[in-house]
Amino acid sequence: MDVRSQVSMVFHLDKCIGCHTCSIACKNIWTDRKGAEYMWWNNVETKPGTGYPGKWENQDIYKGGWEKDGDSIALKGAGKKKGLLNIFHNPNMPMIDDYYEPFTYKYLDLIESPASDDQPTARPVSLITGKPIDIKMGPNWDDDLSGTPDYARNDPNLEGLTPAEQDAMFQLEKMAFFYLPRICNHCLNPACVAACPSGAIYKRGEDGVVLINQDVCRAWRMCVTACPYKKSYYNWNNGKSEKCILCYPRIEAGFAPACMHSCVGRIRYLGVILYDADQIESAASADESELVDKQLDMLLDPYDPEVIKAAKANGVSDSTINAAQGSPTYKFVKKWGLALPLHAEYRTLPMLFYVPPLLPVMASVTEVSKDQNDNLNPIAKQWTDSWLYDTSTEELWGTIDQARLPLKYMANMFGAGDESKIKGQLQKLMAVRIYRRWKTVGDISEEKVNEVLKDTNLTAELADEIYNLTSLAKFDDRFNVPPAHREQAIEMLEFAGDEKGSTGFGIKEKVQRGL
Amino acid sequence: MKKQNFQLIGRNNNKGLNFCALFFIVVSVLIIGNSVCYAAEADQHEGAQYFNQVCSACHTINGGRLVGPDLVNVQERRSDEWLGQFIKSSQTLIQSGDPQAVAVFEEFNSMVMPDAPFTDEQITAIIGYIEVASGGGEETVGDGSEDAVDPEVLSEEAALIETGAASIEKDIILGQNLFQGKIRLQNGGPSCISCHHVKNDAVIGGGILARELTTVFSRMGEPGVRAILGSSPFPVMQQAYLNKSLTDEEIFAIVSFLEQADRDHMFQQPRDYGVKLAGTGVVGLMVLLGVYSVLWRNRKTKPVNKSIFDRQGKSQ
Ligand code: SF4
Ligand code: SF4
Repeated sequence: MDVRSQVSMVFHLDKCIGCHTCSIACKNIWTDRKGAEYMWWNNVETKPGTGYPGKWENQDIYKGGWEKDGDSIALKGAGKKKGLLNIFHNPNMPMIDDYYEPFTYKYLDLIESPASDDQPTARPVSLITGKPIDIKMGPNWDDDLSGTPDYARNDPNLEGLTPAEQDAMFQLEKMAFFYLPRICNHCLNPACVAACPSGAIYKRGEDGVVLINQDVCRAWRMCVTACPYKKSYYNWNNGKSEKCILCYPRIEAGFAPACMHSCVGRIRYLGVILYDADQIESAASADESELVDKQLDMLLDPYDPEVIKAAKANGVSDSTINAAQGSPTYKFVKKWGLALPLHAEYRTLPMLFYVPPLLPVMASVTEVSKDQNDNLNPIAKQWTDSWLYDTSTEELWGTIDQARLPLKYMANMFGAGDESKIKGQLQKLMAVRIYRRWKTVGDISEEKVNEVLKDTNLTAELADEIYNLTSLAKFDDRFNVPPAHREQAIEMLEFAGDEKGSTGFGIKEKVQRGL
Repeated sequence: MKKQNFQLIGRNNNKGLNFCALFFIVVSVLIIGNSVCYAAEADQHEGAQYFNQVCSACHTINGGRLVGPDLVNVQERRSDEWLGQFIKSSQTLIQSGDPQAVAVFEEFNSMVMPDAPFTDEQITAIIGYIEVASGGGEETVGDGSEDAVDPEVLSEEAALIETGAASIEKDIILGQNLFQGKIRLQNGGPSCISCHHVKNDAVIGGGILARELTTVFSRMGEPGVRAILGSSPFPVMQQAYLNKSLTDEEIFAIVSFLEQADRDHMFQQPRDYGVKLAGTGVVGLMVLLGVYSVLWRNRKTKPVNKSIFDRQGKSQ
């Protein structure tokens, strides 16, 4: 057992309100520079939709991630042979128009134009050429545009859904969508690292943050194509690739990353998870049906004495193990089994997990309810909700099977295509709701609640715990940032004793006077 | 973290230095006292050394003209001060309009004598050496160094060149190959063509960093060319051949080639590829691009949302 520590993330999708505060926080700190304007290390996209960059999930276009190669795996579009053959033209690289051409407006024209017969306007200008442009696209161009033929219906996750199912998704009164905030997953088996011909990308030992060494990067852009999540970007101004750094300077100082800190919906959780690095290869090369399970199996119980012993032997510090024990992400992912990796089938073993959204399930009850018309308020088109939680057990799980966003669609995102992988999670989420409804509203019988909890292997305590961390969690509950131990890292590089007995601060210029 | 300069350490070092300095002064006073009497002799010896290293490439003392004048008894013709200035920077003196300097410059085909990297003391030593060596009368001076040119040897070699056309032919070919770098110089020096050009059928496009050498033979004469190849007075060339000097055979071959080039240059019509050269380049490029477009045909050249962009309204 080769125990290592990883700072992992959980995003609770039911809570995201699509406000893009996270993206702005990130942009203002990291990517508000020439050459980086088009990058959104954090972006929020509407699902169903094609996302940013367009159709990033379609690996037939971008050839990102890994694919199975016999017993092992190989990079889909890069690697030694393919990479060398394609090194000078990199066939699957996204173009700037796949992201969008960054722009600003000539705001000054509004106030500085001389008086004339027409109102001045602020024309859009490209941030690349500096010339006026017609805006073609933006980083969240299809925000809230579910159902559109250009975007929602081109969502790569619709694969495997029958045309009838797809059509049902986009009927006017049934249409639903949710938000998918995305950052770099700081994967355990990062394709970006494997693809880099210069060896510029590395995964930090102490916390697993994946970083690009800007001194070593030689602009091959192999990481840009290799990352299936398209989370490595090329800065055309300074000729280096850049990616999310998980705000490591903030983490080292004990703060949560800016996107998480600022998240309005409080959907984001961060904490340490211990994992067994010996299992990386077998987990990444597992059969598609086992991928999710094997990845979750790698994550270790931080209370297990064996694990603690092995962690210590591996140099994981006590405080990090301590942080792992209090980690909110461990609870979501392992203890409660609520969170799943996004697109496990890319085989990068992402360490950002998502609690899948349950919300659109509610109104799907209409399908099974004969008298829906009586319940529909004809003007507001809102459901009168007296029956919504009328949950005879068959009907309860029936609502999940017939959710407005079909299970297959969710499974394509979070279950490597397997519906059974995601169903349990959704049922648990529903069970907690029913339990809380019984507690706070009281219109459901205790008997039914117990049945529901039993069905999902939950207890009342667990349900309360989930509810607390989901709805009432404070800052310190959501973010358990491990102490950074930078002093140890420095001591590994140089002997700090050399500085002992010196004056304590340096001087820039040599002293001229004196003996 | 970088090591910092700390004040305390600095002080300690300074003190140490002062003691050192004191010790050094005492010791050097003793040594200098002892060695003053040897100074004159050493000077001359030094002068000989500098002369052989640098000056002898172009000058002899009573050995006849090479590239530059024979310096025997030069002190009788020029003042030490004038010599000093000329050695230091001949061009400065010439440009200042000094009539003697201009005259000698023109007499020797306006060959620029490079500025020597000598200190004033070293120049004095050299002038001193020339004086002493001139006093030696008939005998040739400048021996004791492989670079020195002995006229007897020269004439022997000249004789060698004139005998046996086959050997000349062979040497010329060898020289030509050495010049072009087809054969490497034995000690690893750069081949001539890197910097020089010669108008010759065999040579396509030599370097333009240094002088064109087609007529170097008539300008400098054989001894001059030979001397420069043996020990160059030009600073750049000196650096280039530092510790990589040419062997005698190489020098002989290159000199033969240069002589032939000079003699025959009127009849040489180096092939002018002209448009054809550019044309070949263009065709080659086309072929290359063709290959690339096949190899790289699957490159993504259209944005995924092209169909959407095409439908969008345009302001211009
Ligand atoms: S998500 Fe991040 S760590 Fe994973 S492959 Fe992409 S850039 Fe690399
Ligand atoms: S700040 Fe939070 S709630 Fe708002 S879009 Fe980002 S992830 Fe969603």
